[in-house]
Amino acid sequence: MKNVIFWVGVKNQTYSEKYGGWEWMDISRKTWEYWCEKHDVIFFPFEKPLDEDLVKYRINWQKSIYCFDLLDEAGIDYDQIFLVDATCMAKWDMPNVFELTDNKFTAWRETDNLNWVYDSVRGYEDFFCYELDIQKYFSSGVIIFNKSHKDIFLEFKDLYLNNVDKFVELQDKIVRKGTEQTPLNYWLQKNEVEMNLDLPFTYKLTHIHRKEMFGNNWQLKEDDTPYFIKYGKNWVFNGINKDQRTNTMKQVWNLVKHNYVKEQNIDLLLDSLNEDKHTNPHTTSDKFKSDVWDFFKDFNDQVCIEFGTHKGQTTKILSYCFKHVYTVNRNLQSFATAKMLNIGIENITYVPFDLYTEQELGVEKSNVFMIDAGHKYPEVIHDIDRCIRMSADGDSYIIFDDYGLNTHEENVKVAVDESIDKNKIEIVKKIGYQKGHEFAHKFLKDSEGLICRIVK
Amino acid sequence: MKNIVFIVNLKDVKKPNRSNPYQYSINSWKSWCDKNNCELMVLEDRIYEENFMNANWHKLFIFKLLDIDYDQVLIADADTIIHPDAPNVFEQTDHKFSVVHNYGSYDWICRSIENYKKHFFPDIEIPLEKYFNSGIIICNKKHEEFYDKIIDFYSDNGNNLVKLQEAYGVGTDQPILNFFVQQENIDCNYLPYEWNMQDMVRTEILNDRFTFTKIGWIYHFNGIPNNQNSDLSYHWMKKTYEYLYG
Repeated sequence: MKNVIFWVGVKNQTYSEKYGGWEWMDISRKTWEYWCEKHDVIFFPFEKPLDEDLVKYRINWQKSIYCFDLLDEAGIDYDQIFLVDATCMAKWDMPNVFELTDNKFTAWRETDNLNWVYDSVRGYEDFFCYELDIQKYFSSGVIIFNKSHKDIFLEFKDLYLNNVDKFVELQDKIVRKGTEQTPLNYWLQKNEVEMNLDLPFTYKLTHIHRKEMFGNNWQLKEDDTPYFIKYGKNWVFNGINKDQRTNTMKQVWNLVKHNYVKEQNIDLLLDSLNEDKHTNPHTTSDKFKSDVWDFFKDFNDQVCIEFGTHKGQTTKILSYCFKHVYTVNRNLQSFATAKMLNIGIENITYVPFDLYTEQELGVEKSNVFMIDAGHKYPEVIHDIDRCIRMSADGDSYIIFDDYGLNTHEENVKVAVDESIDKNKIEIVKKIGYQKGHEFAHKFLKDSEGLICRIVK
Repeated sequence: MKNIVFIVNLKDVKKPNRSNPYQYSINSWKSWCDKNNCELMVLEDRIYEENFMNANWHKLFIFKLLDIDYDQVLIADADTIIHPDAPNVFEQTDHKFSVVHNYGSYDWICRSIENYKKHFFPDIEIPLEKYFNSGIIICNKKHEEFYDKIIDFYSDNGNNLVKLQEAYGVGTDQPILNFFVQQENIDCNYLPYEWNMQDMVRTEILNDRFTFTKIGWIYHFNGIPNNQNSDLSYHWMKKTYEYLYG
C-alpha cells in the first residue's frame, strides 16, 4: 500500500489561449514526479476527463467525485491520497507531508480573499441548510485524505449527480464563486469529518503575489532568492493572470530545476545557467565549464576554493564536482545573485573577503583553487602565492580563467607564465576555447583557461 | 481573580494623528470587559521619552504596572476594535501565551525576521508560520519573567534598536517578541485569524458591507494603503464603532 499524488492536469484545448498554453502543467508535473520518486509515492495523473461535457462536469468537480473511482479502476492499492492541482509546484525538499497528517482529512484554510469566501459560503447556505464555520473553510486545490473518506466522497458524487443542474446554476449564474470547493466544505462539515487544518501554510502557498512573496530582501541585499522559494514548500500559482502562468512558472523552473535531477550531468547544469562568455564576458564559457567538469567531476571528496564570485555560474559547476566549495569575493552583491542561482545547493560557503590584503583567508586548506578575481598582474601573483600557501597535502591544482584573452594579455597571462617559469606551477591542461576564438569584440591569443598543478 | 485587558494610549509626537481614533478602540474594549467581567487598564502616561521608546514598547511594562491580583492579561493594540458579541477569548487560551499568526505582507514579515536576525539574533530561527502579530497577546503571571527579560534587552540595546527601527521600518516590539518566544521556548497557543484580523484590505473584507464584522471578532485596522495621517484608520474605526455599538 502506497501513498498517492493525485495530480490534476487536464489540458482543455478550448481554453488553451485563455491560459497562455499548458506548458505550466508540464512544469508542475516534473516537480511532483521528482517528489514522488524521492518519497516512494505513486504519481497518478488525472489528464483525461471522464465526462466530456465540461460545462456540466467541470474538471474541479470531476477530480473530487471520480478520484476514488479512477484509483480503483487503475487497481491502485492506496493509503493516503494527496490531491493537487497542476497550478502547484512541489519544492524539491518538501518534507513527506503524508507523515504529518495524523491520518485525518488534511487541508489548509483559505484566508487569501475572505470576502470571496464569505460570499461563496452564503451563496450555498440555503442549498445545504447548514451554518458553515468559516474558520474551517479550506481550499480544495490541495487536500489529503485516505480510504476512510471513500464513502463521504462517493456520497458527495451522488449529491452532485442528483443535483447537477442546480449546482451548475448556482455555480455559473447565482453564486459565481468557485466550483466544487464550497460544496465540498459544506459536505465535510455537515458530515462532521474530522479535519487537520493545522499544517503550516507554506505547504499551500497560494496567492504569492497578494502575499508579496515574489520579491526578496531588498534591504539586506544579501540574497536575491525570492521569499516564496526560500520559505514555501508547495508553491501554488493562482491569483495571477491566467495567461501569465506559463511565463511565471517557467521563470521559476529555470531558477530551481537543478534541484530536481537525480543524477546531475554537465548538459543539465549548463542549461540551468542561461548564459556563457559569448553573452556575458565576465563569466566563463560553456566549453570552459565542460572541461572543468570533465577533469574534476570525480573529485567529490575534495574541497575547492574559488577566488572571485561573479553570478555563481562557475560556482554551481564546481559545487557538483567537489565536496565543498568556498567562493570568495569582496563585493557582496555578487553573493546575492549567486545565492539565488544556486538555491538549494548546500555545499557552497560564501566568504566575504578582500583577497588583496596580507590577511589569511580563514578557511580550510584545499587541493583545488579557481582563480578568477583581480585580473591585474600583482593580483594574480598574489592569488597564486595564496593558493600555494593554502594547498593541502597531495596533488593540488589551480584553474585559471581569462588566461589567453587579449585584454588580459599583459596581466593574467604574464603572471601565470612567470609562475610557470619560476617552477611554482606547471601546466596540466589547456581548457575552454582555444587561440583565435572570439567572444563579442574580444579574442583569444591562447587558451581561455588553464589547469595547472602546484609544484611541490 | 479577574482577567485584564491592557491598552497603551499614548500621544505620538512624530505621528500626532495616529492616536485620534484610539478612543473608539478603548470604548469597544470597555464595553466588552464589562460584559465579560474583565478589567480594562489603559496606560496614558509615558514611562520613557518617545525618542528612546515608542508607544508599542510600553506594552511590555504591563506586569510592572499591575497592582491588582489577576489571572490572565490581554494586551491589545489601540487600533483594534472588538465585536460586542465576541466570546470570552480568555477561555480559549489553555493558559498559554496566545497569539495570532501575522497575516499580510510577507515581504515586510520576511524582512522583519531576516533583518533582526542579522543584527540581534543570528542563532535563532523563526519558522515563518510561527511569526505572530503582537497586536493581540494573551499572557499570564508565568510570563512575567519573560517580559522582564525583554525589558532588560531593551535597556541594554535601546539605542541600537531605535536605529534599526528607523533604518528598516520593519516593526518595533513585534520582531523582538517573536525572537524571544523562540529563544525562550515559550509554549504558544495560536488562535485563528478571527481573533486578530489584520490587514483587512488585503483579505478584501474591509468594505462598506462590514464583511469583517460577520467573519470574526477582533478587527485590527493596520496595513491600510494610502493611510496618510491615519485618516483612514480614523474613518474605519469610527464607522465600525458606530456600526457595532450604535
